[in-house]
Amino acid sequence: MSELANHTKTARASDLIERNDVTVTNIAARRGARASLDELARATFGVSLPSTPKAVEAGGTLIVWAGPDQWLIIQKEETGRDHYSELAKTFNGLASVIDVTESRTIFRISQARPSPVLSRSMGIDFHDAAFKPGDVAITHVSHLGVIVWRLPDGTAYDFACARTYSRDFGDWLRKAKA
Amino acid sequence: MRINCPHCGLRSNDEFSYLGDASVVRPDPAAPNATEAFYAFGYERANIAGPMQELWYHAAGCHAWLVVTRDTRNHEILDVKSAQEVALERQKAAGTAQ
Repeated sequence: MSELANHTKTARASDLIERNDVTVTNIAARRGARASLDELARATFGVSLPSTPKAVEAGGTLIVWAGPDQWLIIQKEETGRDHYSELAKTFNGLASVIDVTESRTIFRISQARPSPVLSRSMGIDFHDAAFKPGDVAITHVSHLGVIVWRLPDGTAYDFACARTYSRDFGDWLRKAKA
Repeated sequence: MRINCPHCGLRSNDEFSYLGDASVVRPDPAAPNATEAFYAFGYERANIAGPMQELWYHAAGCHAWLVVTRDTRNHEILDVKSAQEVALERQKAAGTAQ
């Protein structure tokens, strides 16, 4: 085995996990409903929906900016609870609510700082001063669309990609993080 | 070339796709000269050497349409606005003109 192959082996495989214990719901504000949606979100989650590329934590729920007037709501799966139906009911009329749990795969790298390879791989600046805890970026990696965010507590980086590409992307990530 | 997306910040142009002249506006189909106006809307374009308003789509990013003012001679980006904002401004201007 070459030195390079050794280098890219998943020596710290436990640092990279696929998060299959969460539900992901996309909500998009209806035209003109942004203000009332935000009011309702504050009453529901206790925090405002971020209007800039940020991720905010609210009692175990992570709200991730996913484009203008769009968010991903990431919640831990609980037996006997249907997060999507609850959200659809809460935001009925003010937002389009779509369950995207099965269409997105979220990978987590539990690292306080990104590896140099990861930093170089995307067209965004991963430097601590530029990509702070709670920051979000929608970008692409070798033509695969990805939403990346740094957890608000700074302990990890999450990557959400289309599930169809998750094998490719996961493979790439495994190599990039090494 | 990098474009300063009003939502995402400075990004490489490989994240964007280009549509064309952002200054053209769909004519009124009920106007008496609608045929000529639609011909111009569909085909007639100025070949500008200098600052030009263009439509760009942040395809690999936030999926927003943008109106980018770019100098066609040196690719200098002079201004970037969300297309929605520009459309609303145009609507407002048209409303006050009538």
